[in-house]
Amino acid sequence: MTNPPAAKEPFNLKDEVRRAVASLEMKSTSTHSTTSDLSIDEELNLHSIGWEQVELVSGISVFSVPAGLWNWGQGEIAGASKAHAQAFNHAISRIHKEAADAGGHGVVGVHIERSVHPSHVEVSLLGTAVRPIGASPVKPEEVFVSDLSARDFALLMVAGWQPLGLACGASFVYAPRRQMSAVLQQSSQNIELTNFTEAMYSSRESAMERMQQMAIALKGTGVVQVNVVEGPMPFATHAVGFAAWGTVVRLAKESHQLMHPQMVVSLNDPTAVFDAATLA
Amino acid sequence: MSEEASELARTTEHRLEELEKGLFTSDLSVNEFLLIKEVGFHPVGFVMGSSIYHTGIQTRKWGQSQELTKLTEAMYNARELAMTRMEEEAAELGADGVVGVRLDVNYYEWGKDAAEFIAVGTAVKAEDGVSRLNKLGKPFTSDLSGQDFWTLLQTGYMPQGLVMGTCVYHIAHRGIGQTLGTTGQNVELPNFTQALYEARELAMTRMQDEATQLGATGIVGVRLEEKTHQWGSHTIEFLSLGTAVSKTSDDITLAKPITIISLDN
Amino acid sequence: MTEQSGVPDVAEQRLSASSFSSGLSVSDFAACLDMGLEPVGLVQGFCAVRTTSSLNFGNGPAGFTRSTSPYQLSSGDYVENYQCPHGMVSGEHRMWGQNYQQPWIENTWRQGFTNAFTRMVKEANTIGAHGVVGVLDNVTRIGQEGVLEFSIRGTAVRVPKLPAPSSGPWTTYLAGQRLAKIIEAGYVPVSIVAAVSSVRVWASCITEYLMEGSGMTMWAQNSDSVEVEQIVSARMAARALVRNSVRAQLHGDQLHGVELNIREHEFAKGDLEIQPVLRGNRIRRFKDFDPLPAPRLTVRLS
Repeated sequence: MTNPPAAKEPFNLKDEVRRAVASLEMKSTSTHSTTSDLSIDEELNLHSIGWEQVELVSGISVFSVPAGLWNWGQGEIAGASKAHAQAFNHAISRIHKEAADAGGHGVVGVHIERSVHPSHVEVSLLGTAVRPIGASPVKPEEVFVSDLSARDFALLMVAGWQPLGLACGASFVYAPRRQMSAVLQQSSQNIELTNFTEAMYSSRESAMERMQQMAIALKGTGVVQVNVVEGPMPFATHAVGFAAWGTVVRLAKESHQLMHPQMVVSLNDPTAVFDAATLA
Repeated sequence: MSEEASELARTTEHRLEELEKGLFTSDLSVNEFLLIKEVGFHPVGFVMGSSIYHTGIQTRKWGQSQELTKLTEAMYNARELAMTRMEEEAAELGADGVVGVRLDVNYYEWGKDAAEFIAVGTAVKAEDGVSRLNKLGKPFTSDLSGQDFWTLLQTGYMPQGLVMGTCVYHIAHRGIGQTLGTTGQNVELPNFTQALYEARELAMTRMQDEATQLGATGIVGVRLEEKTHQWGSHTIEFLSLGTAVSKTSDDITLAKPITIISLDN
Repeated sequence: MTEQSGVPDVAEQRLSASSFSSGLSVSDFAACLDMGLEPVGLVQGFCAVRTTSSLNFGNGPAGFTRSTSPYQLSSGDYVENYQCPHGMVSGEHRMWGQNYQQPWIENTWRQGFTNAFTRMVKEANTIGAHGVVGVLDNVTRIGQEGVLEFSIRGTAVRVPKLPAPSSGPWTTYLAGQRLAKIIEAGYVPVSIVAAVSSVRVWASCITEYLMEGSGMTMWAQNSDSVEVEQIVSARMAARALVRNSVRAQLHGDQLHGVELNIREHEFAKGDLEIQPVLRGNRIRRFKDFDPLPAPRLTVRLS
């Protein structure tokens, strides 16, 4: 069904709305449903690079961690780090499968929820599967997953880059408890707590290293929008954790396409809110 | 101190090696990433430095306003350690600079007066191979976002370093007699005013001294943060931060900005 | 008021008044007028139901005893059994585990939502509306006994000089500029769509130990990290069920701007009730739309 080329007459919103509403009286011919959590702006951004949304997809995993693991030990809490890595990977492969089943080539705007409990690690991913308009399905392992918004995805593609997947690394390390008593005796001094610094460094380095390994495995040349969560575990303050994740990207065209950004000045004033209670 | 720092750097070596081979990591958004590419830089790695530091205790005189030099020193040294370690990581990557630097202090339940000072940012390298190291031969640092970095470079300025000055000040409690004497009155408290004034001036001056050392022509985006951390309400840290910049080119091609009215709320 | 008997008298009185009411913000109101949609009145519908879902009780899961599905599940319903490999260990040992869908809870929820929705649409019908925009819906728990009230309201609008719709007004959560953008992009709103799924997990012994963190040391075969399959399977199933339920209401149309809210209640380690609710706007393409130019990078100076 090819519509006649759009008439040159100016776009009239009122007429469009009338036409839209009247069209509901006719029977719908479309047979292919899609679901998506994208906004209309994001959808238009996708369309502008020739992509479309297909389905809302998710991936979940819960991995058990021996609860006693956090209490004592030295160096890395390997069981917890491993459980985190596996939970992430399993959630990813489930969202891959759901996306591929729905005919998607990738998933954009993925919301990543991860939580670490004393006895288990949970990872939950939710996003919208997308594909080049009308493209045929691919295998689950060929699907890419990205936490970039549809808008950022479109912009990146225009610049010649393509997302390849999510990379995540996490590491949990015991921080030495003993040092605190030594510290209290020196409490009037300025001093770096080198053991603690080292524990933080060690978890950070392992986590970043793991994230980079995942990126290399995906044949990426970079990771953008890296998110970082770090600090002592709320339920075990002598254990510190570090987790980092981001979208792996690679240059898909021969060279980076310059975007020639345009400077804009917004003429909007900050919204003034009148508060009747304070007359301000 | 530098020995410890290099000890720590050793554990990061393997990770950094991968980055040297061409993989980059960055906490830049897509917008920032593209803008940094636009001005001829390529991100080379997400770099960080941190120090978990125990700040000493200094006796404060109840009725006297004064700088607590020991605390000032602690706050400064701890941040400096974090910054230096971050810069070392960047230097290791052959970076010309670090953009989007964030300095943070985290207090955990490790004990009173112990805090983690952390500096993170994205190391960048010029794609034309011309060194952009600062006057001290180190990578420049800057807390400017990718958007601000792009805009700054359009104006012919170049960041030289993230500069900071800090001052921890104890503000005198008022004597009973003074308090009673002014109960119910609206009056200026000259001692307070003066103490707050002086503390801020000290912090700003120290920041400017750092900029002078870098041979900068100015500082942009100066912020003055005031925090009591865990010291109680009369002891305040005044932290002044900004990006020292110098003019590198008179050849400015600043495009005329377009004015827009945004229709979304 | 009898079941779906139409609009209550008080509502008819309110709606027949000569002035209109509207739940829209001023900017959404202005955008509506700009689109040629005349607000005719604020319309609403309510329905209170009682469910046996533990999520809706105030004081915890009183009276919820461990049992396999009390309902004759039909062939399409989700159910999975988890066997205990150990045999009789002690009286407290969980020798069986089961995940099952709870269609009776889903049905009550659907009934509550549909009744409230239908009543709102009837109100809109009585005043000759073509559509209802800016719909807000809400489910509130009343008291401690599992009673839920569904309330749905929106602003009824009319397109001047267009005959009244033959099959009831369209509805949408959108209003204002976002509605205008949808129509500009070649879509017409059809209806709001909401669906729920409900899955109960009764943990097997293995699942319980894994969620307690004692699994590896006592029972599991390998000492590595172990995935808690029963929970993962229930959560994936709950999401798939709610999506299928929504898809069944689309009839070839698109679902746009989906929101997924998941409520979970844990009675004991590994014993869960999972209830995802999915809502969105069903929209239909009414004309082709040429893609916009690819996005451009701008830097805002402000």
